[in-house]
Amino acid sequence: MNNALKAMRNTRVMRDVKAREGVLKNEITRRAYLYVARNTTLPPQVRHQAQLQLNTFDKYTRPTTVKNRCSETGRGRGIISEFALCRFQFRLRALQGELNGVRKACCTYISITPAYPC
Amino acid sequence: MSALSSRLKALTRLRCEIFQTSYNPQNLRTGAKYLRKHLRGPSMVKYYPEVLNLSAIAREFPKMGIVDPKEAQRLADVEDRKRRGKGTPKKAKTKADSRRTAKKR
Repeated sequence: MNNALKAMRNTRVMRDVKAREGVLKNEITRRAYLYVARNTTLPPQVRHQAQLQLNTFDKYTRPTTVKNRCSETGRGRGIISEFALCRFQFRLRALQGELNGVRKACCTYISITPAYPC
Repeated sequence: MSALSSRLKALTRLRCEIFQTSYNPQNLRTGAKYLRKHLRGPSMVKYYPEVLNLSAIAREFPKMGIVDPKEAQRLADVEDRKRRGKGTPKKAKTKADSRRTAKKR
């Protein structure tokens, strides 16, 4: 899809999207260098060169820079990853019945119906 | 005992051949795990759902007659403010204009 038609998001989310795309783009090369650098059967010089190459990669190519954020608000904490939502947005959506298979817990009676929004 | 261990070794080697894993009896760090791991990028990119930008679409395809409700509300509010004489002041054209506005404050 045309990038210009996508909604502008939170700056932090956009940074995260950038990191995700960077990881996708460089993952195979990075893995190859990692393989060489961590392989103790190879000569130390080669391994060192591979490590130096690894260090030249951009910050936004490492999988550890990627953080799951809320797709609605961009919040970084309290995320329920399966829905890509923070806890409050998750609650709002769930109460509106927009999340399949999610329903409010209720202890006052025993329910034997399968999981669907009540 | 030694016969048994050699048989076990042979078994391990055979297992490695069958399941196409690397035979590494001394547990050397060969870096094989970096090649074995699944790639994470493809699923990482799919995390955020794609959200369309309504105003951008309206701008791109003006013939479709799409109205962004938020933008329409904003423009209506600006008009309303102007009618009540609370719109943004005009930009000063000359130095004298800007001095006059400064004095008013």
